[in-house]
Amino acid sequence: MIRLERVTKMYKTSTRPALDRVSVEVDKGEFVFLIGPSGSGKSTFLRLLLREDVPTRGKIWVTDLDVAKLPRRKVPRLRQRIGVVFQDFRLLTNKTVGENVAFALEVIGKSPSTVRKVVPEVLELVGLEGKVDRMPHELSGGEQQRVAIARAFVNRPLVLLADEPTGNLDPDTSQDIMLLLERINRTGTTVVMATHDHSIVDSMRRRVVELDMGQVVRDEAHAVYGVGR
Amino acid sequence: MRTDFVAREVATGLRRNVTMTAAMVLTTAISLLMVGTGLLAVKTIDATESIYSDRLEIRVALTQDVSTADAECTQPICAGLRSTLENSPLVAGVTYENQQEAYQRFQELFAGQSVAELARPQSLPATLRVKLVDQDGSTEAGAAAVKQAMANQVGVRTVIDQRDVVAKLFDFLGGVRNVTFALALVQAVAALLLISNTVQVSAYTRRTEVGVMRLVGATRWYTQLPFLVEAVITGVVGAVLAGAGLLVGKIAFIDSLLAGIAQNGVIPPVTLADVLTVSVYLVPIGAVIAGITGYVTLRLYVKV
Repeated sequence: MIRLERVTKMYKTSTRPALDRVSVEVDKGEFVFLIGPSGSGKSTFLRLLLREDVPTRGKIWVTDLDVAKLPRRKVPRLRQRIGVVFQDFRLLTNKTVGENVAFALEVIGKSPSTVRKVVPEVLELVGLEGKVDRMPHELSGGEQQRVAIARAFVNRPLVLLADEPTGNLDPDTSQDIMLLLERINRTGTTVVMATHDHSIVDSMRRRVVELDMGQVVRDEAHAVYGVGR
Repeated sequence: MRTDFVAREVATGLRRNVTMTAAMVLTTAISLLMVGTGLLAVKTIDATESIYSDRLEIRVALTQDVSTADAECTQPICAGLRSTLENSPLVAGVTYENQQEAYQRFQELFAGQSVAELARPQSLPATLRVKLVDQDGSTEAGAAAVKQAMANQVGVRTVIDQRDVVAKLFDFLGGVRNVTFALALVQAVAALLLISNTVQVSAYTRRTEVGVMRLVGATRWYTQLPFLVEAVITGVVGAVLAGAGLLVGKIAFIDSLLAGIAQNGVIPPVTLADVLTVSVYLVPIGAVIAGITGYVTLRLYVKV
């Protein structure tokens, strides 16, 4: 599903590579935690998968798409296969919950009938049925993140990338969000989640890819965050 | 393509930046108004030139003795000059105006003024009025030939080229047209910068939307379209306002300003049809300029 082959990413402003010969393979339906200290390359890893950036060297495959060589006009095709969730939710504050989720379908040209059918389904999946007409500021942090997840998942992507999705949430709410991501993962969606949250990684016991100074220092199935961290 | 979605985004964008949008519309309107004024000036100047080129002639004024002695241009000196002129291929026609006819015209021109009472037929010269052949839109060659043929001829007092007098008027009108276009150009640059700026501000205020659109896989075209439509709409509204401005300008100023001279046929009137034609041209000009500016801005400055 996702394959990185000796991927290096250099930024002009830094002498040290943000990613240094990283090779990782993620199968369909896997749930992977991407961990490591700030500046270890987690965000760069996710940005490269999304083709927000191109690697300096190496190859990246997402499904059957050669991401680094993808012509610009085909980038939307890649991004329609990937859902993304951020720490800061990135909801549109002037739109209701339903409109926020519908927006993701409208901008890729889905018909109004599809939007009307799919939006309530996905809101029910994330546990927000009945809140379709609420504005984001009327929701709690956890609920806002659920809207963001609904928006990321509404087009049924093959891969869901989550960049610190629980970073702004309290432990109980974080746990709820993880249950939701797990449920999405069970539908066959591959989930790659960058996190600093020890307790979540430890409780989930999923595959852990640890980055440090841009290099993969650990890639372990059913792992914990790390001893003494 | 979801047109309802694009329309909604455009409406939101225009509403959110209402002051910038208003500034953009007004600047575009003013620059297009100037372009329109320039176009009307060109049209009027061209029409005026064609009116005068039909009327302008060379006048060969005869000496006092020939003028007095020959009222019908039948005697050798006047008839000789006349036949010389008529034989030239560059001359379209020659008419003779004797002293009595010159006097009558003088009385008409200066009716009610003291100079009309002082004039006597004997003090005015008889003239041969020469109409020239128009060659490729110019009577220059004919005028030169006539002047050369009449120079130092017995019986000729002076040769007056009416075109010399009118040339100054045309120079002035040409200057007015050039100044109008120069101002329109400066104003157009201001309008372009403002459109570019507004598109950038619009994209900035909607950066979250744009970010989400990119992330969920909206095409570049879909992401840019609302901004482009916004720019084109302001360009079109600006052009419509400019057209309305031209109309108001015609009714409120031009009509009263030119009323006398247009009625007398000195210059052609600026008609409603002229104003409407120019206004119709301004709409696509406004739309295309705003659209291209918006597109270039998005390509160069905005990551969408």
